[in-house]
Amino acid sequence: MTSTVATKETTPGPAAPTPVARGAAGRTAKRIGLGWLMVSPPVLVVIVFVGIPVVGGIAFAVGYTGGPNSFATLLATSVLQNDGSPTLDVFKNLFKDQLFLSDLWVTIIVTAVTVVVATLLAWAIALYARLSGSRWGSILTGVAIIPLFIPVVIGAYAIRNFYMNTGFWGIAGHMVGITLPPLSYHTSGIIVGQVWTSLPFAVLLISSGLAGVPDALVDAARDAGASTTRAVWSIMVPMCTVPTVIVATFTGVGVLGSFTVPFMIGPTAPTMLGVQLYTTYNAYGRPQDAQAMAVVMFALAILIGWAYVWANARQAKTSTVMTG
Amino acid sequence: MTIAKSAAGGAAAGVSTLVTDAPDAALPVEKTDLGASKRMLTPRERRWRIVGKVIGAIASILLVLFIIGPLIWLAMSAFSTRGQSRSLLPQNWTLSGWSQVFQQPDLLHSFWLSLEFAVSAVVVSSLICLPAAYAIGRRRFPGRRVVLIGLFATNAFPKMGLFTSIATLFYFLHLMGTGPGVVIIQLLGTIVVMVWLPAAAFASVSPSLLDAARDAGAGTLRTFRQVTLPMALPGIGVALILAFLACFDEAQGTYLVGSPNYLTMPTVMYSLVDNYPEQAAAVFAIVLTIPSVLLLLVVRKHILGGHLAEGFQIK
Repeated sequence: MTSTVATKETTPGPAAPTPVARGAAGRTAKRIGLGWLMVSPPVLVVIVFVGIPVVGGIAFAVGYTGGPNSFATLLATSVLQNDGSPTLDVFKNLFKDQLFLSDLWVTIIVTAVTVVVATLLAWAIALYARLSGSRWGSILTGVAIIPLFIPVVIGAYAIRNFYMNTGFWGIAGHMVGITLPPLSYHTSGIIVGQVWTSLPFAVLLISSGLAGVPDALVDAARDAGASTTRAVWSIMVPMCTVPTVIVATFTGVGVLGSFTVPFMIGPTAPTMLGVQLYTTYNAYGRPQDAQAMAVVMFALAILIGWAYVWANARQAKTSTVMTG
Repeated sequence: MTIAKSAAGGAAAGVSTLVTDAPDAALPVEKTDLGASKRMLTPRERRWRIVGKVIGAIASILLVLFIIGPLIWLAMSAFSTRGQSRSLLPQNWTLSGWSQVFQQPDLLHSFWLSLEFAVSAVVVSSLICLPAAYAIGRRRFPGRRVVLIGLFATNAFPKMGLFTSIATLFYFLHLMGTGPGVVIIQLLGTIVVMVWLPAAAFASVSPSLLDAARDAGAGTLRTFRQVTLPMALPGIGVALILAFLACFDEAQGTYLVGSPNYLTMPTVMYSLVDNYPEQAAAVFAIVLTIPSVLLLLVVRKHILGGHLAEGFQIK
């Protein structure tokens, strides 16, 4: 959705500076023109390789098989052509497909649980480091950031081996005398992997948000008789709403579109939409069905984006109340 | 217990009152909701505090195990074979996995391929993005904010959904399974970091410095070369390294667009885990991780120091 906004605004831009050409107005026009010239390359790249594919993909899903979609149509094993008029039949079939429905369910569950767990965990770590101000607190923060240094493929592979029957998980359980069900090749393993890969970003942003809360404010609240819990709840939490919401939305969209973690750690079926999308597109040769799944994914991302905008608007409101 | 010690240290610094249990802190810094300050802790409260600290210690240990455990496990399997043994420490230490990996021309080839793609994508990305970053950081023009946010579209879509959509276009443009196709896919992942971070760096150069340079008679180009660029260089450097790593580690898009013609290291990893013994895969994983770790250590201070978070705050 963001890209369409950009597209609309960007197209008239370069044309704007041409009409006026004299004096101060001419200089302003030249300045604007140069600015536009400099930003146009990445804007064009985004329009061509993000905007057009997304619009084309949505069109493909509702039955438009010509134009840029013609080659994918040629290669497809099965395509629904509706002589030009848009149709929702692809979606109807998709939502009758049990496999897709269970994948969708897994995707929603994994995304929701990961967002909640990663955000809470990051808060706990960042808060502990901020409140205790201790060396151990900063060590914990450092440890939580380690996954940032590891390519996702490697992290996912390591996690899969760790939580297998023959990995640490199974062996440690065996030594204690209990049989722990392996998390690898299971939805719970996907969640573990997603939290692992999402944690660094969450910790970085929330720590940086908490660092921005002035000590004086917390001390003042304490002097006024507030407990630490109270100070955290009514000062630190409201002041860190924006980073928290950024973390939640980024984690949400990231997990939603992820492929590597569910592909490496998860079961063959049901799995997350990202994996199903890939197999449907590449292995089954059904790009149109894949595109419809992508549209469902985009719709879920819009929901998350809407939560982001809503929280930002609310934050703007509360901060005016606080200052005014 | 290190935790007890450090918690006491924190109290001494005057930050924490919640986590203290050291003897000297039993003297009452604690305040309650009701404002009844300064009083001795009852034995019951002290007991709860100890319980809290034990829970905290267990939670910390679990967190460390959760994050580092899998990596240590992986590192161990790179140097040993486990076989059927059911013990935490491997029985047979060996380097055979290493020779196995380095004798595979495919695997070495994939390393060079990864490097070529990542370098090409970063070079193209610099040419495209750095002038734009300069314009956004130093110039005011209508639509500037729209561009800044619009570029974010590359990150706003769920990755796999975006990649299959791009693949459809790539079939049409005959870019599927080609090198340029892979470069474009990797390039897309760098745009935000290559515009936002350098833009923030360019914006942070103080205008009075530029005025001073101009007063001293330096032209626009000279001011840029000798004042603006050197001051923005750290921010640009961080962006370059992050962009390179994003490309070098990019797996899913490269897999969709490049395979089977172009198998980079991360994409080889997908099939390697099923086709090779565990030890060889572990060795390969470590080799693949080395560039990331080294490069990220270089920029670690900047990332922890808030450069990454700052990128989200340019206005």
